[in-house]
Amino acid sequence: MAETILHIENLSKAFVRSIKTARKKDAIEKISLLNHLDLTVEKGKITALIGGNGSGKTTLFNIINGFLDADQGSIKFINGRIHELLGKKPDTIARLGLGRSFQDNHIFDELSILENMLVAGKETFGETPFVSLFSPGRNRKIEKQKTERAKTIIENIFGSGNYFWQHKAEKAKNLSHGQRRILGLLRIFMADFKLVLLDEPTTGVNPEFFQSITDILNRMVNENKMSVFLIEHNMGFVKQVAHNCHFIHDGCIRASGTPAEVIDNPLVRNTYLGF
Amino acid sequence: MNYLLHILIMVNIYIILTVSANLIVGLANLLSLGQAAFYGIGAYITAWALMTLGLTLFPALLLSILITASIGFIIGIISLRLKDDYFILATLGFQIIIYTVLYNWISVTRGPYGIPGIPSPKLFGLVEIDGILPFFLLSSILAIAVIVIFRNLIYSPFGRALKAMRDDSIALLSLGRNITKLKTQAFTIASGFSAVSGFLFAAYITYIDPTSFNLDEAIFIISAVMIGGTGNIKGPLIGAAFVVILPEMLRFVGMPDNIAANMRMIIYGLILIVLMMFRRQGLAGDYKF
Ligand SMILES: Nc1ncnc2c1ncn2[C@@H]1O[C@H](COP(=O)(O)OP(=O)(O)OP(=O)(O)O)[C@@H](O)[C@H]1O
Ligand SMILES: [Mg+2]
Repeated sequence: MAETILHIENLSKAFVRSIKTARKKDAIEKISLLNHLDLTVEKGKITALIGGNGSGKTTLFNIINGFLDADQGSIKFINGRIHELLGKKPDTIARLGLGRSFQDNHIFDELSILENMLVAGKETFGETPFVSLFSPGRNRKIEKQKTERAKTIIENIFGSGNYFWQHKAEKAKNLSHGQRRILGLLRIFMADFKLVLLDEPTTGVNPEFFQSITDILNRMVNENKMSVFLIEHNMGFVKQVAHNCHFIHDGCIRASGTPAEVIDNPLVRNTYLGF
Repeated sequence: MNYLLHILIMVNIYIILTVSANLIVGLANLLSLGQAAFYGIGAYITAWALMTLGLTLFPALLLSILITASIGFIIGIISLRLKDDYFILATLGFQIIIYTVLYNWISVTRGPYGIPGIPSPKLFGLVEIDGILPFFLLSSILAIAVIVIFRNLIYSPFGRALKAMRDDSIALLSLGRNITKLKTQAFTIASGFSAVSGFLFAAYITYIDPTSFNLDEAIFIISAVMIGGTGNIKGPLIGAAFVVILPEMLRFVGMPDNIAANMRMIIYGLILIVLMMFRRQGLAGDYKF
């Protein structure tokens, strides 16, 4: 029996929108996005979440990592101890060991590539102003260790003499979309998360980077003992990297299994894949 | 010579104010309209410490910084819970409250009469800092100390976290950083160091009254920060030097004082407008407003 790292039960979320009706009266429309959703993510595995546009995948991630409240349910994060995530703040959840990447990157534009890595570091010594001022020696040492770590992470994926390290002083705003996406994945290594939620890691990325992203995901799981939960639209990629797959439709998980099994599921074929 | 030194002392006082304000207005992107209040609190605490408590230079300075920073911490905790514009309004409210208290709590602050005859601070109880040259030296040393401290902060992991927060607070949250704590730390430090200017002003001029620390002054400080530019150290330095030296230049070109006083506000206003149109990062800043 595989170990579980994330266990979601009976999760529901509705958005309330005010709409204009034909009689020009304001009305409130309730859109129920997640409906008694149950889902489990296995420890040490890559689990994919697939589903149509607007089916609530990103919303589910936002609830798991605390950016959004849920209406009901429970989300248990099992990392040594069992933590109920609902009701916790995003930064608290991150410090428990749950990280994420974003569909729209969220890179620190004005920081350099290296600074983007360093700022993600788990060790926050030196981020307290007094320590910054009064313990320069120790501070410098930790900064050096973090820099070494960043270098190793980048070279593990791209080899020595790679673009990212050569341009480490370049501001991140000058990077291409694909490079920013990769940077968003690379910084996750700095933070030593136990479970990471990756929102469409390959979307908008040139296929030449697919191999790098595959490398990154495999490294997360094999070398760094993370568990990965990712949203993907690229079925080929899902088949290639994921151990498990869930299909979300009408607010709950309608098919689960290996990627091959889920892709063969008639409901998935009819409603999502369209063949 | 004395005239020149006087200008330079005032430049030093404003450098400390703008370099401090840069940490919140520039790095943390929090537009605080309450910096003159902290400047004023620092000045009044200094007057109390030197006159009533009879403290020497460093204890008085330290006390002034500590009390002002504590008030900054409390104000920070309250106002930083508010978002963007509401934060600005909260600091504006604070600024107005402090001014009103200084003006009306006559039994303590002497209100509009001000506090005259603030004694010169004594260095270790030995050397009296009195006269324009000693104050020039003292203010330069303090300004340099503050510049060094803030330079270190800006380029420290703490400064990096603030810059990251300015760029993308969502991403920083997802990396486990407590945003409110970061903001509160920046606000407390910036407010505390504004007291150094208050100390210098009170001890140098030897007379303080509430009008030196009103809303106009708060806006003046922010204007200096914006004109110079934020995010680095040279921006606030240039801003401070610019706003202090400009009116003196007007005097040099022969403009009568009463016209120059109005002219100066008009010129600041125009410069701000022109900068915001054509050079939004100020004269030497990293960030666009
Ligand atoms: N804060 C909000 N208020 C109202 N509606 C919202 C809110 N956030 C998301 N929605 C709606 O919820 C639906 C699901 O959005 P979500 O981003 O979770 O979809 P998704 O499955 O990630 O889709 P995609 O594959 O396109 O990224 C969308 O229709 C969106 O408009
Ligand atoms: Mg999405």
